[in-house]
Amino acid sequence: MARLRLLLRSVFRGVRADRELDEELQYHLESLIAEGVGRGLSRAEAVYAAKRAMGPITQNREKCREARGVNFLDELWRDLRYAGRSMRRSPGFSMLAVLVMALGIGANTAVFSVVNAVLLRPLPYHDPNRIVLLGTREIAQGPTDFQQVSIPNFHDWHDENSSFEAMAVYGSREVPVIAHGTAAYARGTEVSAEFFRAFAVEPVAGRSFVGKEAKQGGSRVAMISYSYWQDHFGGAANAVGQMLRVYDKSYTIAGVLPPGFGFPDKTDVWVSATMSVDDMKYRAAQNWLAVGRLKPNVPLKQAQAEMAAIGVRLAQHYPESNSGRTVAVIPILDRMVGNVRLTLYLLLGAVGLLLLIACANTATLLLGRAMARTREVAIRAALGASRGRIIRQLITENLVLSVVAGAAGLLIAYGGSRTLITLAPHGVPRLDEVGIDRWVLSFTLGISVLTSLLFGSFPALYASKLDLNEELKSAAKSTVSGGMTRMRGLLTVAEFALTVVLLSGAGLLMKSFVALQNVVLGFRPENVLVMRATVPVEMQAPAARKFFQNVLPRIARVPGILATGATMAPPGSIESCGAYFIGHMPAQFDVRSAPESVLSVVAPGTFAALGIPVEAGRDFSDSDTGGSPLVAIVNEALVRKAFGKKDPLGRTIFCLYDNFKPMTIVGVVGDVHQSGPAVEPASECYIPYLQHGFNGNALSIVARTSGDPKLLEQTLRRLAHETSPEVPVRFTTMEANLTGNVAAPRFRTVLFGIFAGLAVCLAMAGIYGVMACAVGQRTREIGVRMALGAGTGPVIRLILGQGLTLACIGLAIGVVAALAGARLLTSMLFHIKPGDPLVYLGVAGLAAVVATGASYLPARRASRIDPLTAIRHE
Amino acid sequence: MSKPTDLVQGTLDLLILKIVALEPMHGWAVAQRIRQMSRDVLQVGQSALYPALHKLEQQGWIESEWKVSEANRRIKYYSLTRAGRKALTAESANWERLSGAISAIVRTVQEA
Repeated sequence: MARLRLLLRSVFRGVRADRELDEELQYHLESLIAEGVGRGLSRAEAVYAAKRAMGPITQNREKCREARGVNFLDELWRDLRYAGRSMRRSPGFSMLAVLVMALGIGANTAVFSVVNAVLLRPLPYHDPNRIVLLGTREIAQGPTDFQQVSIPNFHDWHDENSSFEAMAVYGSREVPVIAHGTAAYARGTEVSAEFFRAFAVEPVAGRSFVGKEAKQGGSRVAMISYSYWQDHFGGAANAVGQMLRVYDKSYTIAGVLPPGFGFPDKTDVWVSATMSVDDMKYRAAQNWLAVGRLKPNVPLKQAQAEMAAIGVRLAQHYPESNSGRTVAVIPILDRMVGNVRLTLYLLLGAVGLLLLIACANTATLLLGRAMARTREVAIRAALGASRGRIIRQLITENLVLSVVAGAAGLLIAYGGSRTLITLAPHGVPRLDEVGIDRWVLSFTLGISVLTSLLFGSFPALYASKLDLNEELKSAAKSTVSGGMTRMRGLLTVAEFALTVVLLSGAGLLMKSFVALQNVVLGFRPENVLVMRATVPVEMQAPAARKFFQNVLPRIARVPGILATGATMAPPGSIESCGAYFIGHMPAQFDVRSAPESVLSVVAPGTFAALGIPVEAGRDFSDSDTGGSPLVAIVNEALVRKAFGKKDPLGRTIFCLYDNFKPMTIVGVVGDVHQSGPAVEPASECYIPYLQHGFNGNALSIVARTSGDPKLLEQTLRRLAHETSPEVPVRFTTMEANLTGNVAAPRFRTVLFGIFAGLAVCLAMAGIYGVMACAVGQRTREIGVRMALGAGTGPVIRLILGQGLTLACIGLAIGVVAALAGARLLTSMLFHIKPGDPLVYLGVAGLAAVVATGASYLPARRASRIDPLTAIRHE
Repeated sequence: MSKPTDLVQGTLDLLILKIVALEPMHGWAVAQRIRQMSRDVLQVGQSALYPALHKLEQQGWIESEWKVSEANRRIKYYSLTRAGRKALTAESANWERLSGAISAIVRTVQEA
């Protein structure tokens, strides 16, 4: 209690405490004098002796303050005011330092805000850690393999386990939905009985599926998402009970789910799953995804072990479908962010390097200023400031600097995270949740403080090593200790090395991206409009065929359209893949080891519209209908693999698609990169849509136009609506699709580029600063050299040499570090190795240019020094 | 002359506690008493004395009070608190143990 009172007094009545101390010391002094007089000294002698005995008073006062535990707060407040004053005194320096740190902190905060929203923030479900996804794992494919599950296997997983509270299958796709008479695409998900229990989610209006509804073949009810409710029903309470048409089936809306729930893929409408007879029968028909909720207190490991045991049993019982397969159980978030995680952590690493560079830069700036403040520090020390006290004051100054920079960085981060979101590739989950929350704020505050310690420790260390006497004596001169220069040199080397690492990463990604852009795609993406249309009927209905048969010729007649076609999957995506056989169907075969090809249902004219060359034979025609002999067209990759040099035309091919009937190969077309430029073309078999009902209800119409394809969107939309108002359509262009295919590498490349660019600017400023300072310090020496006859050339060489030496050391260290670090990029590089010599040569070249440029200005200034002025200088 | 800095770390605190335990006393008197009682061996200057006093006060082992002297001067008197008395007992015992141990060693070495 007393201590608290004292501390309070120290803080609030620091002045009075000091006065009382003075009074106490004064009494001590007087007593000493009185004692001296008592011993027979004269008054003057006694005063002199007493003062000598007392020693330095101010230093002692400082010690007493510390002993009182003073006034840590008091001092902090004074330091803060002092820091504010010294920032105002040199606004140029402060602005520069704040700007550099704000860039570093801002970039880090921006990237972290994305990492936070996408990777770190818990999913908005009840007890999200208990929700897992389940899948089939092909053991030979490694620990990350994750495939869908068949219904019979799922039933065994569900019935035999004791770890899960709920387990459900689901399947999601884009579906045509008619609500209030308008047709539109929506995300529709079929779910089995326990789906909503797995998420422990309750409807906010209406009710969930009950009893028979949840079972197969129950009466048709649907759940809708909160946002779908708002958008299509205005959030009206009477939405529950209204009808929705999904494909050609009507559903009664049973309930509305709470805001924020849209699993999977922002689902709009959930209906109970209807499984086909094949689905129910075949263990190899892996067509479903599965989700489960762990029982409370069942750890993930235990559930994984139990499911693996079930997997072993199933493999023993059903070896033909399940051998070599096990059950994968992974946390839901891990699965959702699977591909994004590496990219984001890589970016966080890159932007962290940028922050280190900014720190090094600020540290050199501060060291420069610390040199200028040597005398100030010395005087403070002489007046009784202890070493710790001086360091604390310097640290406070740095803290103020970095907190201001952190605040500015937050502004940068706000804009930066918007940019990140626009640049980010499709399919990054939870991007719309990116924002500045308390975690991001804590992160910013944390790195602000951390960086201030990082860049502030160098000058503080320097200041604490000051030799008081030396400094006061040499205060008239402006010599600088060698240690100081060495420290700045070291920092510059480190800064340069880090920059080289970032530059190398950016260079590798850039070269890889250029290679990706230069891939010959096998089709011509420019000026192709893509109109996705789904006829709202079940798969094999003739109505679907009729729609496309009617609309395609009408589109072909539109002026400005050069060619039209339609395909199940435009290049850039694959819808179906399956085994094929040439010549005859073997009586016995193993689907898993048979040759595979991509399967595409197309309309006549598609190859012309997409610009895929027909190398031999013919395209499909309108006469290739269900009544005529079945035909197929294969690509060159399939020909190479299945026929070698033999002529494939007229041969028979069997594809495991909707029927296993023999088809005659009537044409060969060029290869297309089906999965985007990064993946080599696979074997492909095209089949005409009029001969295959399966998936014939959803096709992408492709139209090559003479001008900007977007201009024809309205016309095509009208034609489609006139042909059938119940068919929803969605537009894109082949070029946009392609951009989407390479969005992830572009995202990485652009960001690395930006970070590397900033790093180069900082490094340049760093070298310039150090060299300019060095010239300033050596003015006298240079003057002497010039007076003794050194020309402009040698002086420039002297300074340039010093700058380039630092740069070369930095470059060497940086290249070694980059070579080691580039391995992290391996999986993201296309057609180039992480050790690509050209990239490193380029980086070295650029680094040389930067270092020369940054050192040249100070060097030229040095060469213009007037020897006379220089020698008188100081 | 033995400077206060030569005192074993913490012994100044013990001396102050011991002396203030006798009666409330101001800083000057504490210094004088230490000198007298040690027969001029120990002299404590103000640069060590006042920080120590303030620290002990901060620790709550001694407390202070301003009194007015006969010459009508304000003088700060320090006195031992209850916590200080406990600390003194503990510190004294500690010192006895330590000094005994050191003496034992020093004597043995001399005899050898």
